[in-house]
Amino acid sequence: MATNLHVEQSSSSAVPLLNRRMALALLGLMVLVGGLAGIIRLFAGLGRTTALVDAYPWGIWIGFDFTLIAFAGAGFTMAGLAHVLHQHKYHDAVRPAILAGLAGYVAVLLLLVLDLGRPDRFYHFIFFWNFHSPLFEISWCVLLYTTVLLLEVSPCLLERINRPLSEKLLRVATMIMPVVAVVGVTLSSLHQSTLGTLYLNMPHRLHALWYSPALPVLFFVSSIMAGLSLATLAYGGASYVLRRPAKRAIIDGLARLAGWVALLYLVLKLGDLLISGELALIWSAGAYSAWWWLEMSLGLILPLALLFIPALRRRPWTPVIAPLLLLFGVMMNRFNATMFGQLLPANVNYSPHILEWLSTLGIIGAAVMAWLLGVRFLAIFEEKKAAHK
Amino acid sequence: MTTQPTLSRRDFLKTAGVGAAAVTATCVLGSQASPASASGSTSENGWAMLIDTTRCTGCQSCALACKEVKSRPNPTVEPTALSSEAYSFIDLRPAPGAEKTINVKRQCMHCQHPACVSACTVGALRKTADGPVTYDDKKCIGCRYCQYACPFGVPTYDWNNPLGLIHKCDLCVQRLAEGEMPACVASCPAGALHFGRRSDMLAQARARIRSNQRRYVDKVYGEYEAGGTSMLYLAGVPFSQLGLPELGEQTISHQAEAVMTKTPVIAASVATLATGLYWLLKRRDLKLNEVQVTLPQEDQDGH
Repeated sequence: MATNLHVEQSSSSAVPLLNRRMALALLGLMVLVGGLAGIIRLFAGLGRTTALVDAYPWGIWIGFDFTLIAFAGAGFTMAGLAHVLHQHKYHDAVRPAILAGLAGYVAVLLLLVLDLGRPDRFYHFIFFWNFHSPLFEISWCVLLYTTVLLLEVSPCLLERINRPLSEKLLRVATMIMPVVAVVGVTLSSLHQSTLGTLYLNMPHRLHALWYSPALPVLFFVSSIMAGLSLATLAYGGASYVLRRPAKRAIIDGLARLAGWVALLYLVLKLGDLLISGELALIWSAGAYSAWWWLEMSLGLILPLALLFIPALRRRPWTPVIAPLLLLFGVMMNRFNATMFGQLLPANVNYSPHILEWLSTLGIIGAAVMAWLLGVRFLAIFEEKKAAHK
Repeated sequence: MTTQPTLSRRDFLKTAGVGAAAVTATCVLGSQASPASASGSTSENGWAMLIDTTRCTGCQSCALACKEVKSRPNPTVEPTALSSEAYSFIDLRPAPGAEKTINVKRQCMHCQHPACVSACTVGALRKTADGPVTYDDKKCIGCRYCQYACPFGVPTYDWNNPLGLIHKCDLCVQRLAEGEMPACVASCPAGALHFGRRSDMLAQARARIRSNQRRYVDKVYGEYEAGGTSMLYLAGVPFSQLGLPELGEQTISHQAEAVMTKTPVIAASVATLATGLYWLLKRRDLKLNEVQVTLPQEDQDGH
């Protein structure tokens, strides 16, 4: 995904149109191959198409699910900033972020269907309830919140259609937007934190460097951090795709907000280890310590340095590199919780099957492609008058 | 074999007694009954099994009887691990400095407060009022969260089936309903497996330890582990050599449940806070607009 965007970016000044097509063609190829991989998995079963076993039943699909949901926190974070907290200066960055949120959640839904042992029963949580189950709550919230995202994205489409009916619908959508945003923030607060609660049911499996009663809080705060980071990049990216000058104030402001949340997250992470008396584990836990340091140094301490040391902050690429690093940090955190931080019997290991990789890349490629096409063809920077004027 | 049915009959008389007592208690304490007991999610004195590892000869009768009763494939192949093909097996563990192995029968522990039941997305796993942790294969979506929640590594997934499901021991709940013992207990020729009410099994375990202190370690595994289990183990060596995990007395799911039960409160708080902020900041915005009404529009978006 990143390489394709990079290709598009680096050579667009030479022959922009052709490269845009090449990027889309590459993404299209990823989607095609990934789609085939997914179909093979659905018909052949998990045993033959994944490296998963009873002692290691969740792999990279779950790792990317948790990562993408945190990244897609861009949707509720920006809807909250704009529609609930009335931060109008970030207005232009709201729609690229919400569109990225929708693409992310749809990708997660597709990955989950591949991962379920009974994909044909994906809807069962609607009829069979278990209020104690974190996954039950997450399922409902993801279903409802994807609906919220569709409503939040709908004006981008409605503004493109010039029909009496669409105008009427647009008025309704604009009217209910504050309510929709409040519902979206509530649903997101619930399931972003519950993704952390999910790990509370495995005290015997998750290493103490990550296991903590504070996991729900840590997951929630880091989803805001990831959301603001992705919103920064989505705004810059959308401006780039549409060849509009990006407003420096928006990019700097969002990156800076992400920095403040990252600072809070760092204090919470270290404070949690300190209070539980487990801080020594960052040196003494062998490979677990190494994974922890990779997550914390590259994904949290370095971007914080970039955002808060004045000489580094003024560098032109800081508001792009720092959010990228923060996103890497959140991804590492989710993968450490799912995979590298798991305590396993000596003879158990997991190296993902090629079909797991291809299907994952295909679905992420589809999300990136959908976002790019959405930015290109939907009203991503409002051309009609804004609702509040 | 011949003595077991008598035990069973005696147990059923006891069950009747316990049942009558329970009915009386429910009538008396009806108004105070907690939701947990009302829904039958736990029972402190359900069916239990006492597994005496010092008596087990490792003959595999129980594991093969289990396969047969549960219609598993390859019914004559002795299992060496839990899988979708074997809901129980005997872990033959080499004993340090001894010729004989330590034989540990493994299967679902039927916890008093099972983490798998707490975790299950669709409520396919249930702790029945009578002790067994059962599984509804009509509800299961195959998410495999139960495999992570279980500290004993019990639930297994049928990986080779494109529409695979979770598999585990259900304490032969069907046979229990018909007044029969679980297949493993009924088939044990060595007297290593005993079946009855949990309090009786615990009493029997303690009596054995008291009467033969040289044979047994002074501990009943499962009495307190992870909040207690229906499977109770006796051993002649420290339990760390048996391959059973070392667990505290807290239930596995207590922290997650504490958070999950707060869900409505969290939802209401966030929604109220967000709505409150919306109105407050909107009012402030409107006031600012009144003041700035003469200023150029640019200024509103510019800062």
